[in-house]
Order: sequence, then C-alpha cells, then structure tokens
Amino acid sequence: MKLLHAEILIARHFRNSVFKNSAIFIITLFIGILLLYAAFSGWENYSNQNETSEKYQHQSREDWLKNPDKNPHRMAHYGNFAFRKSTSLSVFEFGMEPFFGNAIFLEAHKQNTANFSEAGFSNSMLRFGEISIAMVLQVLLPLLIFFLGFNSIAYERENGTLKILLTQGINWKQLLTGKILGVASVIMLLFLPTILILVLIWLVLQNFTITTDETIKLLLFIGFHFVYLIFFCIIAVLVSAVSTTSKKALISLIGIWLVFTIILPRTTQAVGAYIFEAPSKIKFSSDIEKDILKQGDSHNPNDPHYKAIKDSLLRVYKVDSVQKLPFNYSGFIMTEGEKISSRIYNEHLEQLLQIYEQQNSFSKTVSFLNPYIAMKNLSMGLSNTDYDSYIDFQKQAEAYRYTMAQKMNALQIKYISNKKPVAKDKPLTINKDHWADVEEFHYEPKGIWEVLKSEIISIISIILWITLLLILIRTASKKLKAI
Amino acid sequence: MLVLLFKNFLRSKGTKIGLLFLLLIGFISLLIGHQFQEKQYNTITEASVYQKEHIARNAVYHKDDIGLLLYYIKFSLVNKTLPINSLAIGQRDVNPSIQSVTIRGLEAQKYDAELNNPNNLLSGNIDFSFVLIYLFPLLIVAFSYNVISEEKESGTWKIVATQSQNTFAFILKLFYVRILSLAALFTIILVAAVLFLNIPIDVSLLTFFVLGILYILFWFAVCFFIVSLQKHSNYNAVILLTIWLFLIVILPAAINTYIVNKYKVPEALELTLTQRNAYHEKWDMDKMTTLNKFYEHYPQFKHYPLPEKEFSWLWYYAMQQMGDDESAGQSRELEAKLQQRNLASQQIAQFIPTLHTQLQLNEIAHADLGNQLLFLKETAKFHEKMRLHFYPKIFDEALVEKENWSKYKVETFNDSTKTSFAKAFLPLVLFILILIGFGWRNFKRGVI
Repeated sequence: MKLLHAEILIARHFRNSVFKNSAIFIITLFIGILLLYAAFSGWENYSNQNETSEKYQHQSREDWLKNPDKNPHRMAHYGNFAFRKSTSLSVFEFGMEPFFGNAIFLEAHKQNTANFSEAGFSNSMLRFGEISIAMVLQVLLPLLIFFLGFNSIAYERENGTLKILLTQGINWKQLLTGKILGVASVIMLLFLPTILILVLIWLVLQNFTITTDETIKLLLFIGFHFVYLIFFCIIAVLVSAVSTTSKKALISLIGIWLVFTIILPRTTQAVGAYIFEAPSKIKFSSDIEKDILKQGDSHNPNDPHYKAIKDSLLRVYKVDSVQKLPFNYSGFIMTEGEKISSRIYNEHLEQLLQIYEQQNSFSKTVSFLNPYIAMKNLSMGLSNTDYDSYIDFQKQAEAYRYTMAQKMNALQIKYISNKKPVAKDKPLTINKDHWADVEEFHYEPKGIWEVLKSEIISIISIILWITLLLILIRTASKKLKAI
Repeated sequence: MLVLLFKNFLRSKGTKIGLLFLLLIGFISLLIGHQFQEKQYNTITEASVYQKEHIARNAVYHKDDIGLLLYYIKFSLVNKTLPINSLAIGQRDVNPSIQSVTIRGLEAQKYDAELNNPNNLLSGNIDFSFVLIYLFPLLIVAFSYNVISEEKESGTWKIVATQSQNTFAFILKLFYVRILSLAALFTIILVAAVLFLNIPIDVSLLTFFVLGILYILFWFAVCFFIVSLQKHSNYNAVILLTIWLFLIVILPAAINTYIVNKYKVPEALELTLTQRNAYHEKWDMDKMTTLNKFYEHYPQFKHYPLPEKEFSWLWYYAMQQMGDDESAGQSRELEAKLQQRNLASQQIAQFIPTLHTQLQLNEIAHADLGNQLLFLKETAKFHEKMRLHFYPKIFDEALVEKENWSKYKVETFNDSTKTSFAKAFLPLVLFILILIGFGWRNFKRGVI
C-alpha cells in the first residue's frame, strides 16, 4: 500500500508520542470511566422510567376497567392517564427528558398539564447538566481532541522539527492529513469501544428484536457522532498549524470550545426567550376561559348559543321540552361543549407553541455557526428526547383525551334515559362492559422520516461544516509556511 | 510598584476584552433578570384581576347553588418573589410561583406544572448567578494561569527575581491586582443590579455579595495553588480548565444522578392513582360509610346529617375529602423523599464550592427546592383554610348573594427562612485557606 503511506506514518508517530504523555493518558482513561458510568446510569434511568411508567399505565388501565356499572359521564371524569415512555436511544441521549412532565391526567372538559417532571423534584443541581454518553461524545471528547491536537503542528514549529519534516519531501497536505488521522486514531480508541457497548446495550434493551426504524436511528446516531468528532480533529490540527506557538494554539482552541459548547447554546436560547416572551400559565388559561365564554357557556341555561341549539332540536323533533327528545339531551350538549372548548384550547395552544417555535428558531439558525448545537439537536431528535417529540406526546395525549370524552358522551346520548331521576331514584347507569371500548393510551414515538424532516437544518449544517473544513485543509496546504 | 503592576495588567488587550465581555454579559444577565421580574409581577397582578372576575362571574351563574359555585371557583396563593430572585432565578422557572386551587381534593391540583418551553429549561437562564458561577472562574483562570510561568518561558523571570527582594511578595501582588479587578467588576454589576432591579439593601443582598466575593477568592486560590506547582503555562491551562469542567459539569451531574437514583419518587405517580380511585369509588359505595369517615376527620360537622336525596353536596365534598385522606400516606412519603433529596444535596454540596454557591444563592433568592417544598406545604394549609371556611356554608346551603365574594383576594406566602452565615460561608472559607496554605508551602519549598 503506497497510498497514504506517509500520512499513516505521521499518524502512528503522533499516536505514540501522545501516549508518552502521562497526563493525556490519565485524562483518556478517566473519560473512558466516565463513559462507562454514563452508560450505566443511562441504563438505570431508562429502565426505571419505563418500568414505572409501564407499571402505572397498566395499573391505571386495570382501575379503569374495574369500574362498576355507572353513568358514562362519571367515567369521563374518572379519566385516564398518559404516562410518557422513552425510546431505547434515550439511554445515550437524555436530551430534555428531565424537564418533561411524566404523566398527564386525561379527563372530560379539562386539558391538564403534564406533571411530575424530574426537574420539578430536584434542586438546581440538575441545571448544571447531566452525564450521558451523548454529552461525553459531544462536549468532553471535543475538548480532549483539542488537548491532544493543539501541539500537533505548533510544537513541531516551536522545536524547529517542522522545517526538517517539510524538507524531507513531506508536503503540507500529507502532514495535515497525517496529524488529523493521528488525533482521530487516539479518539477512536475511546469511540469504538463506546459504540460497541452502545450497540450491545441497545440490543439487550430491545431483547434482540429490532425494528428498521430504530436501527436507522441508531446508525445515524453513530454516523453523525463520528463525523462530528472528525471535524473537531480537523479544527484542532488546522488551528495548531496556523498558530505560531503551541500556547496560542491551546488558548484559541479552548476559546472555540467554550464558545461552541457553553456560551453559544445558552445565549442563543436566552436571546430567543427574551425577544419572544411566552405568556404565563394563568394568562393562558384565563384567555381560554374567556374565549369559551364568548362562544357560549354550556353551564349557563340562558346562554344564547346553547339556547339556539335547544330550540332547533325541539323544532326538528317536534317536541316541547328536552325531556321528550328521543336521546339524552345533556349528553348532546356536552358533546357540543367539548367540541367548542377543545377547539379553542387547541387554537390557544397553537399560538403558544408558535411562540416557543420562535424562541427556538434562534438557536436553530445558530446551528449553522455552531456544529455543537446542530449535533445536539440531531441526536435529541433521533432519541426522541427533543422538543418536537414532547409536543408530539402531549398532542397524542390530548387526541386520546378528546376521543375518550366524546365516546363517553356518545354512550350517554345513546343509553342514558332523558328523564332525570328524581329525589330518591337510583342514578342512571350503563353496563361496565362499555369501558373496554375505550382503548388503552399508547404513545407512538415519531418515526425516522419525521425526525429527519424536523432536523433538516442540523443535517445541512453538519454537511456544510464538513465541506468547509475539507476546503480549508486544501487551501491551508497551499498557503501555510513553516515559520 | 502596585500601580505599575495594575497598568501592566490592564494594558494587555486580552485583559481589556475579557473584562469588557464579562461586564457586557453581566449587564445582559440583569436585563434577563429584569424581564423575569416583570413577568413575575405581572402574573401576580393578573392573578388578582382574574380571580376577582372569575369569582364574580361564577357567583352570578350559580347564584342558587353555593355547593356548585365552590365546585368551580379557584383561589390563588402566591409564592412571594423577592427582587433578588432576578439575580438567581433558580428553580422558579420550573416551578409555578402561583397555586390556584378549588376546595375539591388537593392532591389532584397540588402538583400542576408551569407552562414551559423545555428548550429554555434545558439550556438554562443567563441570570447573574450563571455569570458569577460559570464565567467569572473562566476569566480568573485566563488571567492567572500564566502568572510566573509566562515570565519563565519568555526569560524575564530571572530579571524580576534578581530585582525584587521578596519574590513571594511579588507573586502575591500579581494576584492582588487580579483579585481587585474582578472583585471590582463583580461589585459594579451588583451595584447596577441594586439600582436597576430595585433590590433592597438588606441581609440577603449582603450575603449574596459576600458569597460572590468568597467564590471569586476560591477560584483565585485554586489558580494560586496550581501556579505554585510551577509547571509550564500549557500544563496550567489544561489542568485549570479540567478543574473548572469538573466543578461545573461533571461533579454536579454525577451527584445529581446519585441523588435521583438513591431517592426515587415513584410515590408521585402512585399518589395520583390512589387519589383518583379513593374519590371515584365512593360514588358506588354506601354513602354512610363515606360520611362516617368524614365525621371522623371533622367531628365539628357531625351535626350535619346526610340529606334524604340521591345527591347532596355534603356527600360530594366528603367523597372529595376521601381522595386526599386516603392518599395522605403517599403524599407524606413523597414530601419526605423530596426533603431528603434537598438535605442530601445540600450536604454533599458543601464539598463542591460551585454547587454550594449556586444552592446558597438560590436559597437566598428563595428559589430552591426547600422554598418550593415550603410553598407546597403552605398551599395545603391555605386549601384547608378555604375548605373549613366554606364547608359549613355549603352544608347549610347558605345563599350565594349573602356572601361578600369580593373579599376573597389572592393571598401571599412569605418564606421566612433565614440563611445561616456559617453554613453559607464556612465551606468556601475553608477551601480558600487550604488551597492558599498548600500553595504557600509549595512556593516556600521550591526555588522560585
């Protein structure tokens, strides 16, 4: 193999010199331990979260079915729960999970909040971040790459060995490629075992029955992280090549790392949140209440909207009171009320989500300038722990709630007598077998195409970055000087 | 001599850029704090307007039925926001600062979440505590990692060493200059905050100030110790950044995972399910069984007999009460677990200055988990008070119009927790002394 012979030689030499440095050896070893810890705690988190959520989802279903014969409207208030479940990739990327509510109570007339988030039950410690495999790969490994790479060329320049190398028939392109390969080969010593463990855990979690969707997500997760790490290797070597001293190279690289991973992500999101201010919960719910009242209040007997419905019903069925209608009148009115209130709620929710989208649009745009944000968004998307997935969960829960409430209303219209029981009559009920008609809530995470569609900006950004860096290697090879 | 050192330090372009950057982001953090404050205050004003309108409207609709009216109306309790909260937002963005509850079962309402964009929560706020805890150390490291080593590398150290009688004093002066600049910067931003955010000058502010200064000193002590090892500048930079990373990201995250896994809270979900069943099953049970339990809880209502009809509000509210009573065990357990979490994290934090400072700042600002737990407790008290106030009126079927509904205003909870100085300052002071002590020993032993 004559091809890349010089490059491989340079790379091998670089790797050997790296491991002579005991400090680097210790840091690498330490990151290895951290990766294991991240894998372990991710696994524990995941199984804990899913076991609990499955247990209570199951239990709440049993409770629902155990209900005796009763009025379907009582069942609509008894309600159901939507418990959030995680996907298997969330073992490696926690994303926004700690900030998601884990349970939504679904009942008639009322859209409840998703409650019991991990963040609500912890003190500010959580806000410092979490250790997940994704965090190690996205934040710590780039820094390690910089610690490894800042010396790569600048040190040879300081020592005067750079001139010797270049006079021995090695050209700049070979030197740059060789050093990049060298840094990458050290990083691969961490990356490859991590991937091995990752795939193994992933297989065990799914009991070796894998779906194509999950497999594509996993492959993309690995592939994009690989590309991401490679371009930090390129940045490190390029900066080292243009810096006059290794100290300058180190300081510039640390600066880049801080801006990319610590300062920009927080600032851009904060700017977004500052410019597009979201309403408080109390304003949000009272706006909805007001709008619903404008449409008509089903509880108010003299409300014009409901009075019109009543009058038209009486006309069509040619009767003089609602008690004589051939179906349950209050069930009918509640169906109408639920329709109106949930339409209004959804309209307001859309407006709110739009504000959130605007807040997020800032950092989404900045992902063009910052590969870290692009990578983070993409990996959260792939593991279904991103913003879109959460909204998706809430929407699925709301759709389920609406169907459940309307089904109970339909049962009431059909089976409950129109004559209200008086004083000591037994309440009107229907058979408990109907409860099974409402299916159990099942959350379906977004598929790979949906994810790719919503994360298209991140993908373009990563592709642009890698092309830019490859071009930079070419131009640098032509322009760089030995001194 | 000192004046010259100052001039030399401030003349460097890097220093100027660094200080200006920190000043700028410090002011940005005040703007963000200001917006947070405005939003909190607006919400509270809105809440009292809405409550008034909401009660008045419902009192008209349900004027014949006080039981039904109280089924609907909500009463709000505000967790008081201190002006200093704008400097350390803490957990106040995750947890709601207002609880609105009806007199029905509390457990189903108590944990209602705030509306939030999870993206904002994940990336965190740029409040002043962030600037202090994350960014000040970076600048401190940038300013001090190459003290001495730079001069040694450029060959000027020998000149310095021969020209001054006491090189150790000279090093101290170099640090003195840097400490003074950053302490001044911190003070400037804090003074600006006091003026801009109307923060009262009181013990809380003083504690905040002292903690900030101690925190800055802690990082200088770390740098002093690393510099005392007299290694190469590059080595110092790598080590100091690694220490920063450890204290800011890795250790807090690791401890958080430990605490979350040690004190798991399945009680939260268990509680909601129990509460739901406990209330709903009563619809299908003998009414007297429910009522007897109710009378047992509230003997003062024994003289209200069960009305002779299929539905009565006495029975209804007794059923609602059972939802709370029968899930009380889980509720207490959940609270105890959260207390344990809070206590454990505070205890561990004493050994990690970054974490300790953040927790203390949040405590001062009444934005920590402890405050949230107190607020939940207070919410329960508030709810009980409203319940006991309205139960007899409902059971007596009091007339809606007889009641003066406008007197039910939004109430405020005032957290009276005092921060103990020893608890707040001692861990930092100890760390500073130890680091300086070891650094001093290193300097004395080694030939400078």
